[in-house]
Amino acid sequence: MGRECENLLSFIADELNDNNKRKFEKHLQHCTECAKEYEIMTDAWHSLYLDIEEQKVPESLKAEVMDFVFIEDEKDRKLKSSFNINEWFSQLYRQFSPIAAALIVALMVLTIALSFSNMQLRNEVKESGQENIVPIEVLSTLSLQAADQTEGNINTGGSAVILQQGEAKSLVVQVRDLPRLEGSEVYQVWLLKNGKRKNAGIFKPDESGAGILTYELAQNLQFDQIGITVEPDQYSTEPRGKKIVGSS
Amino acid sequence: MKEKRDEELMKLVNKKDRRALEELYDRYIKLIYSFVFKFTNGNAETTKEIVQLVFLKLWTTKSSYHSSKGKFVNWLLTVTRNVCVDYIRKDSIHTQNNQQMNPHLPVEIADPVDEIEKKLTFNEVAAAKSKLSTSQKRLIDLLYWKGFSLTEIAKMENEPVGTVKSRLHQSLKQLKKHLEVEDL
Repeated sequence: MGRECENLLSFIADELNDNNKRKFEKHLQHCTECAKEYEIMTDAWHSLYLDIEEQKVPESLKAEVMDFVFIEDEKDRKLKSSFNINEWFSQLYRQFSPIAAALIVALMVLTIALSFSNMQLRNEVKESGQENIVPIEVLSTLSLQAADQTEGNINTGGSAVILQQGEAKSLVVQVRDLPRLEGSEVYQVWLLKNGKRKNAGIFKPDESGAGILTYELAQNLQFDQIGITVEPDQYSTEPRGKKIVGSS
Repeated sequence: MKEKRDEELMKLVNKKDRRALEELYDRYIKLIYSFVFKFTNGNAETTKEIVQLVFLKLWTTKSSYHSSKGKFVNWLLTVTRNVCVDYIRKDSIHTQNNQQMNPHLPVEIADPVDEIEKKLTFNEVAAAKSKLSTSQKRLIDLLYWKGFSLTEIAKMENEPVGTVKSRLHQSLKQLKKHLEVEDL
């Protein structure tokens, strides 16, 4: 007798869950032993009800039963038509074990977080895309030369370019063959307008003396000349050191 | 309605035909009422409540009867018994009913329902049952009439479920044999 055969009595007594019921029904189709026993068992089972005594049915019962059925059915239908969210949730709750529910919540949170970050990423891509759509134009180019050409830094020089992209303007300064810096020294870029200097940032060149700096220009900022000085540290608000490079 | 077969009636009930439900009531109320009456140990009030639930079940059930499912009366009583078992499982009377049952006396039925198998009479089943041992009868009654599950019976009998199953299997088989002998 197989394991499935042991379910015969449970099947007759209708004690199997739907899944096991289906399994046993399948089993009945090819287990001749069970099929034979099943027939005997159901015959015996269905004869059991005959062991009853006939009762006199109360006259009023029919009306009571019919009223009950139709009123209950009406109530039930009304209940179903008015969507009950609590019932829905509690049913949902019953569908899942606590672990499954926790997993689902965790997955939902993860999904939301990922979609959110994906959305942000998309926006960023879109924004950067928009930036790329607007072309960068060169407004003007200034040539830079060594301020003191006698000092053997004859090759020192470069260029300053003012760029415009949409509303934004920026300055790019590129210099080559700059003298080596000592200690905390930095090169500082100044923008000159009517003798007034405005700080446009500091930079340090590489081993070969090449340096580059970009500076975002305010909308209304204008200047005539560019000067680059060597400053003892990065805290200068006015030039303290010697001018090394300037625009002509 | 009167000339409709049970299967047709039940199809109409599935389609919410009230007259079909009333016709089913007229045909089977005596059987259903007597069955539930026995199941509730003769409690008229509970019997009424369960009978109402049985007809509500028939009215709202999605499942329909097909002649392939066996005799209509067997299907109907399976539905009835399921409602009974559900009812007592919800109710505390289940534990109160857990006593040895009185032997049931054979009775004559003056007006048997058409669908009831003619070969077997109420007398015969009671007689066949009386040939079983007390413990066999008890087992059958606990399962069929008291609605205890196999696991519950195993606990009450202090036996493994497998043993209870095979004892019940043998008891039902013997009952069937006694019925066949009487039938000859």
